Amino acid sequence: MSAPKSSRALQRGALGMVLLVVAWEGVARGFNLPAYTLPSVSAILGSIFDHRSTLFLAGAYTFAEALSGYVIGALIGIGLAVVITLIPMTRNAIVPVATSINSVPVVAWSPLILLWFGIGMPSKVVMVALAVSFTVFLSALAGLDRVDRRSVDLMRSFGAGRLAILFRLRLPTALPLIAAGLRVSTVRAVIVAIVTEMLGAYDGLGWVIYQAVLQVDFVKVWSAIFIASAASLAFFGLVGLAERRLVFWK
Amino acid sequence: MIPRRTFLSTLAAGAALLSTAVGALPALAADPVPATLRLKWLPQAQFAGFYVAVAKGYYKAEGIDLTINPGGPNILAENLVATGADTFGLSGGLDSVFAARDKGLPVVCVGISHQMTPFVFVARADGPIKTLQDFKGKKVTTWFTGANHVLKAMLTKNGIDPALVDIQPQQVSVTPFVDGQVDVITATRYNEYYTIKTRMGEEKLRTFVAEDSGITFPRDTLIVSETTAKEKPELVKAFLRASIKGWKDAFSDPKGAVDTIMKAAPTLDRAHQEFQLAEAAKLMTAGTVKQNGLFWIDMDAVKITQQLFLDAKVISKPVDLDATFNRSFLEAIPVADRRP
Amino acid sequence: MSAATLQSPAARPGTSPLVTALFRAVRGLATLLAVLAAVEGLVVVLNVKPWYVPRPTLVLNAILATPEPYVQGFLRTLTETLMGFTSGAIFGVGIAIVFFRARVLRELIFPVFVVSQTIPVIAFGALVVLWFGNTLIAKAAISFYLTFFPVTVNALLGLESVDPRQEALMRSFGASRFQLLTRLQLPAALPQIFVALRLASALSLVGAIVGEWFGDTVGLGVLLLQGMYNENVVAIWAAIAMCALLGTGFYAVVAAAERALVFWGAEQ
Repeated sequence: MSAPKSSRALQRGALGMVLLVVAWEGVARGFNLPAYTLPSVSAILGSIFDHRSTLFLAGAYTFAEALSGYVIGALIGIGLAVVITLIPMTRNAIVPVATSINSVPVVAWSPLILLWFGIGMPSKVVMVALAVSFTVFLSALAGLDRVDRRSVDLMRSFGAGRLAILFRLRLPTALPLIAAGLRVSTVRAVIVAIVTEMLGAYDGLGWVIYQAVLQVDFVKVWSAIFIASAASLAFFGLVGLAERRLVFWK
Repeated sequence: MIPRRTFLSTLAAGAALLSTAVGALPALAADPVPATLRLKWLPQAQFAGFYVAVAKGYYKAEGIDLTINPGGPNILAENLVATGADTFGLSGGLDSVFAARDKGLPVVCVGISHQMTPFVFVARADGPIKTLQDFKGKKVTTWFTGANHVLKAMLTKNGIDPALVDIQPQQVSVTPFVDGQVDVITATRYNEYYTIKTRMGEEKLRTFVAEDSGITFPRDTLIVSETTAKEKPELVKAFLRASIKGWKDAFSDPKGAVDTIMKAAPTLDRAHQEFQLAEAAKLMTAGTVKQNGLFWIDMDAVKITQQLFLDAKVISKPVDLDATFNRSFLEAIPVADRRP
Repeated sequence: MSAATLQSPAARPGTSPLVTALFRAVRGLATLLAVLAAVEGLVVVLNVKPWYVPRPTLVLNAILATPEPYVQGFLRTLTETLMGFTSGAIFGVGIAIVFFRARVLRELIFPVFVVSQTIPVIAFGALVVLWFGNTLIAKAAISFYLTFFPVTVNALLGLESVDPRQEALMRSFGASRFQLLTRLQLPAALPQIFVALRLASALSLVGAIVGEWFGDTVGLGVLLLQGMYNENVVAIWAAIAMCALLGTGFYAVVAAAERALVFWGAEQ
């Protein structure tokens, strides 16, 4: 991607966001909507400023949970896919079990996870890892399987072992798909951390949201959402940046 | 936005229809007017009376076609009632009513279901905690959504500095208490207490009640929007009449009431629901209800709770109690009919 | 070692797809039963308290004791999931084609989509009820909301992965843009799209279940919530089992469709 082109994309993206914000502000003010229906963007920004220290601390807490869970989940996901590729007979054991675990919505596991891992950070990290690992696993597996069989045969005919094939051929080929999975998972990581916090926690953005709903402070709910959104986006951008570097290498 | 706007206009049309129908026709109208009741949670015996009243056609007889909408996490009845999405709400309690009024939501409380604090603090009977004084230095878990303020007020009233008690947020589960990791736990009389009791045996438990310290925290409030209160007083009265009838039936025939609930939610545990209904009956008939009837709004209790929340700075200023609480709908029903 | 022994049995050439599918199903079922039996044994032997992990037979009994809400809940949640999944998939692919064709739109709207996905719907239970009421549509809408984005991302990725030389070749034969799309670009994107659809099958179920938390009477989400609140671990597991059944079944259908279609796609 050339520099002027990407800067144009950035401009357009920013323009899209600005249009959305303007439309939102216009609707909220024009129809004079009450805060419990839709507060205006300016009111939300004001509330963010008022609660900046609370929101910043809560955001940092949630981000720490999301990041730890994300790293663990990504390692598990890629690890499992690699294991399956190296030892094909494990596929029929791992895939169905992983699928059944994943087919249960992560939120459904939360009461059990909270029961097993307590109400603090560990339960959120486990939940995020659970959510992330499958997404990454599926992408990684699809990527590793995508390799042209003839290339595998060719490498093998030169005496390359499974590990060599994995590192030289399969992983580089799988990289774009793994990266896509990793990118999609960033946002999920933050959301799952927040949702779990809302079901049982005493810190983080989810807790702030839960408290604010009980106190009928909808502007504060939106403020927390904005912070969550910003955290997710930063996370997404960071992984995207890393992806671009890695895919360049390919 | 479009679905919402059409929804609102349908609602407005419905409301217009509703007001003419109630105004023009006697209570026993041929076409009952549609209305909804938003619960604070999913169907269970805590709400049995409303389900009984629906099943026995008491609302129909009053000219109301009532749909009961369950609640859920992060659904606030105040919000849905204020916006007109639901006609009636059985909302969280005085805490949520105060919070809603504090934030300018136009809701009016027309009745209070649980006349006293519905939760207790539970310790082990054979443990070191015999009185509130023994809470010092012990690990106490509670919900940080109102119960924590009750606990702190109880401690302060008994001359204990809350800072000396290790107050922790409570898990979703009672297991840490059962396993002995926690010294005191908070339990609703109708839910967590049942779980603890079944696992440990009631004789092993010692309970601490807010009312013993002069604190009270009534919950499960019946609310309507200011618009409904102003424009459709007959609808509110009719709703209260039918609801009270349903609850009186539930008290006199608890087995039948639990049957009705189990029909709405068959996966519930029957024994637990029977216990829950019995506890709900105690909470609903506590205080001055024997004289003033079900759903009575005891303004003394309301003032105690308001002070509690002002002290805890949960609400910024006293709310307009006259605008928030309206007993006129209850008072329109003969008190003999309201008594349990 | 020959190449054939390295392949999974499913991929062995010469076996009919039906047999392969059956083989997979039996294999999966056997694994599941073995796991369940092991859990049952462990719970009994180690005397695990039922509020940590109940015996699988206990869970099964709970379902069989009152099958009606589980069956009803299953069907209701399935309907919502299908509605959300179908609309999300169609919208996702459709919008990906639009983005692929019109770079301006993509650059303008894609960031908004990304932002929209960072919002946890659960925070807006009341808004969802306000906007859509207590209808099936409300649940399907949440399901749709969770589904369309991964499909858009992957479809776009797939469409862009088309070999420009092939495109030039087809153009030189006078292929129209529509032909280019249906003959070359979409088939080429299909493997990527299916990766997203498999993910989306799980996400659409999450959407339906979370949607049922906003005040509903029937559905697996309702059962989960009820079990959670009453700390009835057996009921939670019973609801989880039904979710797993629904999720696995749906996933299997999508995966089977993938094998049928992508196989054809590779042949092109």
